[in-house]
Amino acid sequence: MPEENPARNSHRLMEIGVPLLSFGGAAFAVIFWITGATIDFRISILGCVLGSWVLAYLAWIRPKKDIVALTTPIYSFIFLAVPTDNLSAVVLELLYAVSLTILLVRLKYRFGRPGTALSDRKELAEPLRTYVEKTRDLWTGTSPEAAHHATVAFVRFAEGEYGEAAQRSTTAAGQPDDAGQASPLARAFMIVSEHATLVDQSLPRPAPYRTFLPEDSGMLAIPLPPAQDDDAGFYAALDNALLLLFSAAWNNSGEDRPHLLAVQSFAQKLLNP
Amino acid sequence: MKIGSIEVKISVIAIAVVVVLTLILIITVVYTGDSRLLIWGIPTLVMLLLIPVALNYLSQRQYGELEPVYRSRAKNTRIRMINESMIGQVVRVEGVVERVYFQFLNRPQYLVADRSGEISVKMFTNPTETVKKGDIVEVLGTIINRYIVTGDPVINCVSIRKIKKA
Repeated sequence: MPEENPARNSHRLMEIGVPLLSFGGAAFAVIFWITGATIDFRISILGCVLGSWVLAYLAWIRPKKDIVALTTPIYSFIFLAVPTDNLSAVVLELLYAVSLTILLVRLKYRFGRPGTALSDRKELAEPLRTYVEKTRDLWTGTSPEAAHHATVAFVRFAEGEYGEAAQRSTTAAGQPDDAGQASPLARAFMIVSEHATLVDQSLPRPAPYRTFLPEDSGMLAIPLPPAQDDDAGFYAALDNALLLLFSAAWNNSGEDRPHLLAVQSFAQKLLNP
Repeated sequence: MKIGSIEVKISVIAIAVVVVLTLILIITVVYTGDSRLLIWGIPTLVMLLLIPVALNYLSQRQYGELEPVYRSRAKNTRIRMINESMIGQVVRVEGVVERVYFQFLNRPQYLVADRSGEISVKMFTNPTETVKKGDIVEVLGTIINRYIVTGDPVINCVSIRKIKKA
């Protein structure tokens, strides 16, 4: 998105700034030492200090926090507070600059990109947003009451309140459509009800277990595994059912959206097995 | 070592510290000939052993009292279902231990997996029985953030026991 580019550019500049500031400060320390300049060596330490604060900021703005990078400013304070001789200061700065650079690389590759944490977002993140928009047309004719049941069932399941999720899903599932057939949404409710009951009461997996019909496959977020893989099929049915409930709730119950946003991370986790 | 009904363990690190400091004290006394160092040195070494034992006893006793409370409140769950919305919930999971860390510190961490996923299980005292990689276990604990206020959900374990599956 265009409005993200200035932010991304500034983050990139900050990433370059970490080694630039820390090695730059170390370079000044070497110059002072070689030339025998009679100024306070700790001025050169400021480069490492600033570099560590920039690194800590880059760690802070990531949804997944790196506690090591976040605490580097504390170590930089030690460098300012503890007086030392010139040679030790130069060596210390060079080693600190190297470690800040290594931490920066680690931050980039292990802790993802900067961004808002899912729980703080005011809208759906990808790929959930694409799935919800793709399935929007499926829910024409779905009552707001059913959508609200879907919200409650999903949120309760996400919160680990399996008994309540099972109860709500069972109530919502027992409402066939005008042709007397169970709709895909009803099937989703039945699957969630079954799984929630099994977990809540520590029951073994039933054989056979509830699953979707072949004609439902177009609306499922996760492709169904081969029939021989019973385990994967069992869990995929639940994931698909929960995601269908989320989509139905989001598209048909606008006032429930804040509750769905609060548990968005769980829905994202289901989409990324 | 048992104190009453409670099995108490002292970590290898604590023992190593006492051994090293004892050697330093002995060398110092022999080298300086100042035996007055022993007046404070020996009680200090004794305290360095007793304090970890006392702390371990207190934590084992507290965890032992907490276990039935947690057991009555715990919700059974599958590991993959654990998410940030469950922070603060008391849960019970069953799974296989895939990795064990820091057992020697009496602050073991385990990676426990069931068919749906895996999760870190952190314990702040030693468990009542030795748990190794490959053991099938029941874990009772609270869902917390990995870094107290942030991080992915992990289990703050009160009890981890080996179970036998039929």
